[in-house]
Amino acid sequence: MFNDIFLGGFSIYCGAAFLLWALVIVFGFISKKSQSALFPILIGAGSLTLAAGAAFGGNGSFSLPLPLFLGGAGFQFLVDPLSRIFLAIIGLVGIAAALFSPGYLHHLRGRVSIGFFWAVFSALLVSMAAVVISANAIVFLFAWEIMAISSFALVASDNESHSVRKAAVTYLVATRAGTAFLMAGFLWAYKLTGSWTFSDWRISGAAAIGPALLIFIGLATKAGCWPFHLWLPIAHPAAPSPVSAVMSGVMLKTAIYAMIRLLVMNLIDFPALGAIFLIIGGISAFWGVLFALLQHDLKRLLAYHSVENIGIILMGLGIAVIGKQINNPLVAQLGLAGAVFHSFNHAMFKSLLFFGTGVVDARTHTREIEKLGGLIKFMPFTTACFIIGSAAICALPPLNGFASEWLVYCGLFTIAKSAPSVIVRFGGVLMMGWLAMVGAMALACFVKAVSVVFLGAPRSSEAERAKEGTRGMVAGQILLALVCVSAGLLAPQILKKINAILAAFSLSAASQNLWTIPMPLFAVIFILTITIIYFWMNVISRKHPARKFITWECGFGKTSPRSQYTATSFVQPIARMFGAIYHYAVHVELTGKDRRHFPEKISAESDYEPYLQTKFYSPLLRLMRKISGLFLGRLQTGSIHQYLLNMVLVLMLLLWVVFRK
Amino acid sequence: MKLIILPLYIINLMIIPFLFMGIIRKAKALMQNRLGASVFQPFYDFAKLLKKGETVSETASCIFLLAPKIVLSAALIAGILIPWSGIPAPQFLQSAANFILIIYMLGVGKFFSMLAAMDAGSSFGGLGASREAYISILIEPILLIGISALALSSGSMNMSEIFAKGFSPFVGVLCGAAFLIAALAELSRLPVDDPTTHLELTMIHEAMILENSGRNLALMEYASAIRACIFLGLSAQTFLRVSPLYKNLPVLAEFIIGIAALFIIGIFVAVVEGFIVRLNWRRVPNFIAFAAVLSILAALVAVAKG
Repeated sequence: MFNDIFLGGFSIYCGAAFLLWALVIVFGFISKKSQSALFPILIGAGSLTLAAGAAFGGNGSFSLPLPLFLGGAGFQFLVDPLSRIFLAIIGLVGIAAALFSPGYLHHLRGRVSIGFFWAVFSALLVSMAAVVISANAIVFLFAWEIMAISSFALVASDNESHSVRKAAVTYLVATRAGTAFLMAGFLWAYKLTGSWTFSDWRISGAAAIGPALLIFIGLATKAGCWPFHLWLPIAHPAAPSPVSAVMSGVMLKTAIYAMIRLLVMNLIDFPALGAIFLIIGGISAFWGVLFALLQHDLKRLLAYHSVENIGIILMGLGIAVIGKQINNPLVAQLGLAGAVFHSFNHAMFKSLLFFGTGVVDARTHTREIEKLGGLIKFMPFTTACFIIGSAAICALPPLNGFASEWLVYCGLFTIAKSAPSVIVRFGGVLMMGWLAMVGAMALACFVKAVSVVFLGAPRSSEAERAKEGTRGMVAGQILLALVCVSAGLLAPQILKKINAILAAFSLSAASQNLWTIPMPLFAVIFILTITIIYFWMNVISRKHPARKFITWECGFGKTSPRSQYTATSFVQPIARMFGAIYHYAVHVELTGKDRRHFPEKISAESDYEPYLQTKFYSPLLRLMRKISGLFLGRLQTGSIHQYLLNMVLVLMLLLWVVFRK
Repeated sequence: MKLIILPLYIINLMIIPFLFMGIIRKAKALMQNRLGASVFQPFYDFAKLLKKGETVSETASCIFLLAPKIVLSAALIAGILIPWSGIPAPQFLQSAANFILIIYMLGVGKFFSMLAAMDAGSSFGGLGASREAYISILIEPILLIGISALALSSGSMNMSEIFAKGFSPFVGVLCGAAFLIAALAELSRLPVDDPTTHLELTMIHEAMILENSGRNLALMEYASAIRACIFLGLSAQTFLRVSPLYKNLPVLAEFIIGIAALFIIGIFVAVVEGFIVRLNWRRVPNFIAFAAVLSILAALVAVAKG
């Protein structure tokens, strides 16, 4: 039954948010000092109770009293195991963000109003929590829109630069388009079932195709999977780092949550969705990591990795749906467990990596990785956390990323083993290879990111003067790094929490033991081996101490940091291999006398033209602009009189439609 | 039975890798009409490197010093878990011998060896790491699809069980050949890379460890010897298990035959290296594509049989 802990957590959370809003709106200002102390504590406390409620609280439903009403339906909420997993994600990242943000905001002071930031930030957290517990479509859309608008406000918060404003508008347009599809899908589902409540939606057969596709497109736009991902690498880098962390780590997951609830859990049962999920997920995973390799902006790189990881989650969902179709509960459970667990894991390591980027950004004032380098000497904790996050996102054992990708692999393997059709079985094996390639590309990408940013020698004077983040910033990162490590080691325990979702979903009530690897034992042996070798080397080094000398450069003497390998050169072979997708080109220009052998100046520039943007979206946008110039231009003249006339005409039309009977 | 196995693991991980490298080098020298060093030379080299002092770049950080230890540990654990010489993983680690875990475990080693290569700030290290990353993007899917094909054919995801239960001969031959080609690329051997050169523009592995010296280099060389055994041994075992005779033998017999097969493959690689030249770097994907086709065919055969 419904547990008080959860309600308590949620109400503290809402209370905190309302308090903040009241403080900001009613009183207009609070002293700077109390702003930076009070707000994070409130957000942190709310997140903590939310996470605790999600972990230890029970299930249940509640609704707000009747005067609060949303037209078609009331404020009804439902807390079940699925929403609790996502509440735990929101809570954990919320705590880390509350620890991290004060230090980061200090660096932005003057450009972003702190009171505004915290108020909108708390609205974002509350609305995300409301999205994952909403019981009907109207409350869902209500919370969804608050989430969209508050995240838009946060993206636009540092709005002095032109690029940020442009990014915010792009984000707003994308989220509008997504919501339009979602609303259309919800209306269609309402028309078919006559109810706004999600649990009443049982649509199957041919009728499900329309709403399922509309809802899928709407949610996919929010989740940022291919080919609806274009806004993501534009909007995420523009936001302040803690906001990018929450958006990338948590907000995308609310769309995944809705996909699981509406499309996977058979509320809207459209069988082809399994293949759609798997194929779109596969393409997203590959596309995201491929474009991430080409990026030089650390945040944009991470944003593209969100596209990749959402793709992996979608693959898990696809496996779940296919498992259900081929009547194999093991496949279904592996797929869904993999998707849910990867959602959790991705939230943790992606927020961690965005925090690391935030420290780098705050301390060096650049995110351009070609200008960084050698930061490990100045910020050891951030580097250690960033390496843990990178290892986790590359799915290296024994961290959490491996645990969830392993489930996805096992799901694909079980499909390959037991699907009735040869084509599906073969597809399963090929997808395993595909995922392995994506994994290897992610490894390459994060070797690039870690080594160019944190290792080697500093490439600019900004990087030379960097120092470690504030204590709060480090604490936020260490918290998430610990979660990454422990979620990897304690995978069976976390899967037990997920089991309750699987029980509701799977065909057979008996849930199988999905996890077969003794991860703690494995980790202990790994660490023990490292320690033994370490001490062995220590004993030897007493007799033969190491000496420091310059890096070997063929006898030229000490070379400058500019002679280091750059990120561009690191990925050049890979970028060239997949050049057909984006027309990769490197232009080298030599100038000076006798320029072939003794050039005075060499400049090299790499460039790519992403065909999806230039050949598909740009013409589409041009077409839309042309059409709107023809029709909308007549309507939107800027004259208030005409707008009033339009409104009256539309109102009369609607009245006629409603009352003509 | 158990008493025999323990020394076998020690022989497996501490003696065979060095001996294997020595045999390859000797065979290669004989192919080139040289006398060559003794097959025990890698042991002497290892002992010598451990005794020498170490030079560390001023630019390098603790990652550079830590990486060889992690790389070696990852190789050792993968070496215990993969039955590359015919002896299965120890009983208490049996359930960790999942092939996906092992492949990603090798990825841990790769991650840290690439970081260490970039750490000193030398462009050689960067070159090597970049190419290692590139090669692994090509190799990893092949390896995973190939082992999946074997696993599908034998019905288990556990490496020890895959090789104990056996698989269909056709899948075995295809996968064995795919692993052999993939191993040449993965281990930076001809025709992808020339392991004997320094300061040549195709070197991958040697460029990555250019900055390592002394005990640091010893650990890296040891790890790469184990990896050579793992990859070529995997191919040898896959070929061996095709034959119904190599089944349910005593552990010692399986081990001796397995090692013999490994050495034969090593000599084969050395002989092949005597005949071929290094490929143009841009043609490497075409070479690896053979392995990809073989492993995908193997997977097709494995799923078609059901």
